[in-house]
Amino acid sequence: MSWDSFIWFASVAVLLWAAGAFFAWKGRRALVYACTLAGLAVFFAFILGLWISFERPPLRTMGETRLWYSFFLPVAGIIVYSRWRYKWILSFSTLLALVFICVNLFKPEIHSKSLMPALQSPWFAPHVIVYMFSYALLGAAFVMAVYMLIRKQKTTEKEINLTDNLVYVGLAFLTFGMLFGALWAKEAWGSYWTWDPKETWAAATWLCYLVYLHLRKARPDAWRGACILLLVSFVCLQICWWGINYLPSAQGLSIHTYNVK
Amino acid sequence: MWGKPWTMKEGFLIGGGLFVTGVLLQVALGPAQWRLLSWPVNLIMLFLLLAVIGVVFALRKRVYAFEWMMHAGAAVPCLTYAAALTILMGLLPQVKGEGVPWLSQMLRFWPFILIWSWMLLISALAALNHLLRWKVKEIPFILNHLGVVVAIVSATLGNADVQRLQLTAFTGEPEWRAVNDDGAVVEPGLAIELHQFTMEEYPDHTPKRFASDITVYTENGKNVRGVVEVNKPLKVNGWKIYQYGYDSVRGTESPYSVFQLVRDPWIFWVYLGIFMMIAGALCLMLFMAPKPVRS
Repeated sequence: MSWDSFIWFASVAVLLWAAGAFFAWKGRRALVYACTLAGLAVFFAFILGLWISFERPPLRTMGETRLWYSFFLPVAGIIVYSRWRYKWILSFSTLLALVFICVNLFKPEIHSKSLMPALQSPWFAPHVIVYMFSYALLGAAFVMAVYMLIRKQKTTEKEINLTDNLVYVGLAFLTFGMLFGALWAKEAWGSYWTWDPKETWAAATWLCYLVYLHLRKARPDAWRGACILLLVSFVCLQICWWGINYLPSAQGLSIHTYNVK
Repeated sequence: MWGKPWTMKEGFLIGGGLFVTGVLLQVALGPAQWRLLSWPVNLIMLFLLLAVIGVVFALRKRVYAFEWMMHAGAAVPCLTYAAALTILMGLLPQVKGEGVPWLSQMLRFWPFILIWSWMLLISALAALNHLLRWKVKEIPFILNHLGVVVAIVSATLGNADVQRLQLTAFTGEPEWRAVNDDGAVVEPGLAIELHQFTMEEYPDHTPKRFASDITVYTENGKNVRGVVEVNKPLKVNGWKIYQYGYDSVRGTESPYSVFQLVRDPWIFWVYLGIFMMIAGALCLMLFMAPKPVRS
């Protein structure tokens, strides 16, 4: 398996996800699950194929993390659908997954690099996969925040509740990612936390979402302020994920920039 | 303002006060000297911290501010300041050395230290409060709040006690001298003999694996033979031995191997805090998230 066959797997997966999204609008629940899960299976088959042919988990380059992100968006979508029955959520997750698939098709970014010794660890896969799942959920929370800020008065209790849930689960996974990273760093570099620029931004992002959580507890009525906070938090998250590659403060300092020479 | 009950406004003012106090400390004392916190000063600091937590907690019914500190409303301003300063730290290049601008060494910037201490105090008080009205359903809250405190307090207080040495061993010559961060020669109380350094490369000549087959001789007569490679340190007598470097010019033919020796006496407590936080995050997802509302 190589990136050449990506377009075929991705097309089939997106078509299946789109069918699932279509059936969600029609209220055909069984078909929603069948199509979405089939799409996920096809997409994961590609990831697995890459894994086997690279002889390492495809998690290293930006392109490879985007692959997981495209996979987890429909996963998050189907979970939200199963609990809240939103008709639109699968259309949204499919569209967003498609965007990331297109980025990978048109701007692949050095895909088949070998894995340096520092990354050869059992912690590697859980650390990145857990982060990608968290990013998918917090991305969905970001979209909810924008949606609620635009609709203002029309916002319902159900929408706020969904957003809270996305943040709770997203933050839990963000915490897993951060702490797995700390445990791994101790094995690889001898220290669990060094305030490397990536770590600093991970801490800042984590703190921002903690502010959201406590604000929701302290002032449940101030949901619009909380929504604005989600926008700020998501910006931090983007800086942490890829923005630091362009930040002057992180140039040449971060030991996390594996794909930039 | 300042009428009961206090809101987040009071919290933002308190944070502002802490910030100003921090700036004054910075002017008076200069950047914080974390090295002063080595054993036994850190132990004394720990007792002081526990005493402060205990006293504040005991007086919570008498002093309104102390009771207020345990509520989520007090956490919001505190976390906001902490997040803002951490974002600032991420935006500004951080450098080492003396005589650099305050914000270029955020970890030595007193307002940053005071705000984070305030956060830990609030978190510890909240945890204690939930601990004392013990119920099974309080466990997630306690794990999250106490976990953060245990991890960050022990990481911070223990930092000055961490020993980090570099030892360069040539093939067949046992080496017992190492060098610390300041370049001083230190004897870690063990010797390392390198039997063989191995390096494997990918077809494009990027390194795939480097490993050192070594024997570690300790003062108490224990000889440990093992292979050290990246991500696979060897643990001997409280030291963790990491593969650190090699002769990068000669590559696969490197006649020596460089090891990093790390000893961190507080690591158990940091791990305990981290595992509490992992368990707490699991609970956050499973038990603390609000129940789904379906219209």
